[in-house]
Amino acid sequence: MILQMAWRNIWRNKMRSLVIALSVAIGLFAGLAVLALHKGMLKSRVRTVIDAEVSHIQLHHPLFKKDYEPQFTLTGNEQWLNDIRSSALVKAVTARSVTQAMLATTAGSAGVQVNGIIPGTENEVSRLDKKMKEGTGLNPQKKNEIVVSRKLADKMKLKTGSKLVLTFTDTAANIVSAAFRVTGIYQTENTPLDERNVYVKINDLDELLGIGNAFHEIAVLLKNDDDLLTVQKELQQKYPGVLVESWKEISPETELMVNTMDYYMYIIIGIIMLALAFGIINTMLMAILERTREIGMMVALGMNRVKLFLLVFLETIFLTMIGTPFGLLTTWLATEYFYKRGIDTSSFAGKTMSSFGFSSMIYPEFPAEELVTVMLIVILTAVFSCIFPAIKSGRLQPVEALRK
Amino acid sequence: MQTVIDAHNVSKVYNPKTIPVYAVNNVHLHLQRGEFTALVGPSGSGKTTLLNLIGGLDKPDNGSIIINGVDITGLSANELIDFRLRNIGFVFQSFNLIPVLTAKENVEFIMQLQKTRRQERENRIKSLFRQIELEDKINVRPSQLSGGQQQRVAVARALASRPQFVLADEPTANLDSKSAANLLDIMTKLNKEENITFLFSTHDQRVIERARRVITLVDGQIANDTARVSTLHEVAGQAG
Repeated sequence: MILQMAWRNIWRNKMRSLVIALSVAIGLFAGLAVLALHKGMLKSRVRTVIDAEVSHIQLHHPLFKKDYEPQFTLTGNEQWLNDIRSSALVKAVTARSVTQAMLATTAGSAGVQVNGIIPGTENEVSRLDKKMKEGTGLNPQKKNEIVVSRKLADKMKLKTGSKLVLTFTDTAANIVSAAFRVTGIYQTENTPLDERNVYVKINDLDELLGIGNAFHEIAVLLKNDDDLLTVQKELQQKYPGVLVESWKEISPETELMVNTMDYYMYIIIGIIMLALAFGIINTMLMAILERTREIGMMVALGMNRVKLFLLVFLETIFLTMIGTPFGLLTTWLATEYFYKRGIDTSSFAGKTMSSFGFSSMIYPEFPAEELVTVMLIVILTAVFSCIFPAIKSGRLQPVEALRK
Repeated sequence: MQTVIDAHNVSKVYNPKTIPVYAVNNVHLHLQRGEFTALVGPSGSGKTTLLNLIGGLDKPDNGSIIINGVDITGLSANELIDFRLRNIGFVFQSFNLIPVLTAKENVEFIMQLQKTRRQERENRIKSLFRQIELEDKINVRPSQLSGGQQQRVAVARALASRPQFVLADEPTANLDSKSAANLLDIMTKLNKEENITFLFSTHDQRVIERARRVITLVDGQIANDTARVSTLHEVAGQAG
């Protein structure tokens, strides 16, 4: 009967209860919408990291990443690529030679990372061809062609057909310089990464570095994200002397973001709910004040403090819970709508997002996995909100309450 | 005869440190099972305070109140709540039904607090509503009942827990003559047929006329305690 009483009590003042329910719905919508936006942003960022930047797994000589010295190549060559490619879990594999260089044009110079790539397999792994904005890219038949990013091209005043000079050290520590012609300009969603990376054919770079047909890096793209650990373990067992890293180790900042963002979001929802809790406390206190005599009468008749607490608690829970489905439904509808269409932040945030490596298009995703936690936060809010009013009602003396 | 209420030397003082006001002063009161007693006196004489003390709603500053062998002045707040639930029925001046519950649920509420079994509850509710002659209003909310009907439901609720006695604080104060007469008829009948003990605090002559014992309080003290063989109501009925 206490359950029934609690439910009916909250409808004694419909307008007041509806206002609180609406506040809960709006609060929940705000919290979940932020969660959905961040989830969409993060998912897109992780996708970019895997599909366009570092792939799922990379293999290097254990000493290569320390100073990027060209002599630390992988010894297995083509055979390794074929072996890795033959795994049923692997989608694509490519090899790269990598060196740090100074890029110089008539407009100035810049430090860059030169990636010597095999155009065909590179496109399968990092979709470089899809990012091409100008030019034709690298022609396997021609020598010393280079693809630079839009950001770098603008900075160094480069166009397709422009010439530039790359200077770096070879395996014998000699300074090597070579002229390259820009045959493509690419653009990704990660401006800082764009500015740093240029692409040449692997044969051109290997020849200049003096490493023959060797390479420094193998990038592995998997069919399924969930197989990451399995494949990483397999590769590590197969090539014990090689550094086998997953994207989480190569891009720890992304991993950190994924791991910590949820906590930030819960804190945001917690703050919203805390603010709401004071509204609920106010409503419940008013409700108790209005019913002082009735509560006094119930205590006089023999309703103990535990049951009274339960009554106030249930009323608070109901009050909070009424708004919850509306909050969830509106969030779900909004995220479904924007998940299909996306939110283009470039119209109001310019290139802010891409300067941090995020896509300017956000596809918010309903945080279904976090629903249990969100519901727990809502219930905790109700519990927190009911404590003070419940204590207040429990302290009412029946004689004094009945006089009111 | 079984003593139901045994109050010894009971006092209640307000403002004891500044200007002490003796709401109840050194009262001795004994009530036997089946009594139909009116506590009368002018406003401020201490009727309601004494009723609250006997009902365990308030604690005396002095004296003891023994109900059915238990000294309730030594009970804790929680023990008192449980004691009230099992031993005392209350009818308050203004109807004091729970507005969100139907008449039936208001009566059932007490039995649920007592953890009475469902079947027993149903039987008792049926019997009580027959006695208060409101069988047709059983599922109606208090707002749809007249004042008299609400007070009859309050009587049914007071009796639902099978208490040792019923305390009624000015039960007819807000009722018209017909409703008051009807309510008193029901309570008199319950007293006679089921030997239920009633203690009223009242100004109402209609209640006083039906009481077999009238205790007059003046300035917190018992000024007069009169028992009657026949009530004035009965005498008037015989004369009529």
